[in-house]
Amino acid sequence: MSGGQLLLFVVGGLSNAAYLFIVAAGLSLVFGALRVINMAHGSLYMIAAFVTVVVANQLGLTLGFWGGLVVAVIVTGLVGALIEVVVLRRVYGEEHLVQLLATYALTLVIAGVVRTVFGANYRTVKPPAAINFSVTLAGNSYAAYSFFMIGAAVVIGTGVYVLMYRTTLGRNIRAAVSDPELLSASGVNVARLYTVVFVIGAALAALGGAIVAPSQAVNASMDTDVLVLAFAISVIGGLGSIIGSLVGALIVGEVLSFGLQNQYTNPYAIAFVFIIMVIVLTIRPWGLFGKAEQT
Amino acid sequence: MIVDPAPAPPATAGATMPALQVRQLDVRYGKSHVVFDLAVEVARGELLALLGRNGAGKTTAILGIVGLVPGASGSVYVSGRSVSKLPSYRRTKGHVAYVPSGARCFPNLTVQENLELTARPAAGGWTLARVFERFPKLRELRSNQAGGLSGGERQMLAVGRGLMSNPTVLLLDEPTEGLAPVVVQGLGSLLLDLKRTGMGILLAEQNHRLALRVADRAAFIEKGRIVAEMPAAEARGSDILHRILGV
Repeated sequence: MSGGQLLLFVVGGLSNAAYLFIVAAGLSLVFGALRVINMAHGSLYMIAAFVTVVVANQLGLTLGFWGGLVVAVIVTGLVGALIEVVVLRRVYGEEHLVQLLATYALTLVIAGVVRTVFGANYRTVKPPAAINFSVTLAGNSYAAYSFFMIGAAVVIGTGVYVLMYRTTLGRNIRAAVSDPELLSASGVNVARLYTVVFVIGAALAALGGAIVAPSQAVNASMDTDVLVLAFAISVIGGLGSIIGSLVGALIVGEVLSFGLQNQYTNPYAIAFVFIIMVIVLTIRPWGLFGKAEQT
Repeated sequence: MIVDPAPAPPATAGATMPALQVRQLDVRYGKSHVVFDLAVEVARGELLALLGRNGAGKTTAILGIVGLVPGASGSVYVSGRSVSKLPSYRRTKGHVAYVPSGARCFPNLTVQENLELTARPAAGGWTLARVFERFPKLRELRSNQAGGLSGGERQMLAVGRGLMSNPTVLLLDEPTEGLAPVVVQGLGSLLLDLKRTGMGILLAEQNHRLALRVADRAAFIEKGRIVAEMPAAEARGSDILHRILGV
């Protein structure tokens, strides 16, 4: 493999990792604070991708994508708030199985709504005009949009870090992770905080879905596609850890990129992801950066 | 239809009213009845010791006052205002401060973050600077995660968290448990100072020596009921102290 090819695969892996990290960070944030595994996270991502495509194609090439992204985050955030208030609040105290069934039911409902509203056909949208060009590096051509995705993930990841460690909201979220009862006895409205956390999680799913839209065909099965990868990332990195999401996303993104580029390994690329997942589960069941459950 | 048996709230509310009044507090966990018809009153600047053995219902009574148990009924007044209908996060916003047993803090937050989380600024009240002045060790450890502190340090932090909300009434659940004698001494003199500022204090303890040294009155709790109440001076060396705490 030449140096140029190596770079091509690495950049491909990084742009995979970029949107996967954004999505997985939202899943992890919600699990960390609410202790709920949100099966509908991929559905929120899919809603955002469809909204982005529809709005962007209406508004045109210059500003369309940005308008689509904003509308997608708002719409998905509102759907998230509705889900938290109507469904999740009723299952917080329940065992994980009940929570899984409740959020799995949501994936079915949302999948049906998406097919009804947007249809079952593939849809595409072009990157915004300003970043719709290619660059040549070491003999290979790269879509500038790949670098935009990587940059967006860096900005969003930094934003999540600042939110969690430099704001009172983030401090309260971290407090809720360790002791929600004590937080309530410290004058914080934990029920409202949980809604806010879920909306932030939904917004991260939405950012992932909006940013990925110009790079692939948007379709009605992308909810499960991304959910499977986001779970693999969370298991590898450790559910509840944002750093774990980053490392997990880098591993999964690169494994997929290198696996898919070679004709012999191509059919097994996704299998490699799960082999790594199984190895991590065997050696460190709580993931690379997760914490062992206290019993 | 269940008729609320709670007595009418006091006619006037304000600074002249007791810091804390609890009437007919019953707490149930599912089918088990843990606290029965509990009534306590703490005046401003007064310290009431709630004495009883492990499992007598001290912690449950406090949780009922804070509003952290769903199966609680009865009335709770702070400065004469009813807080019975308020969720715990509103009861603890400047009215009631709860210092839980076991020096419970947020282990993954820094010392300073733990303190800032409960902060409710009040004129002439407790601030971060004043808490650090009172507990210099916490100032040294301000950037450390609370989970790494020693038991005594965490207890200071737990008390400091209570003070930061500048409460009308401070509820402490066994704050001396597992503390070195010198730390217990420090806590005792802090409680005496807090009484002088007009704070009402309810101190649930098994450690009767400290409790009766700083308390004005003592209430004895057994099997979820208050079985006796008397001035602290009378409680020292009394038969009931001997019977209930086995000393």
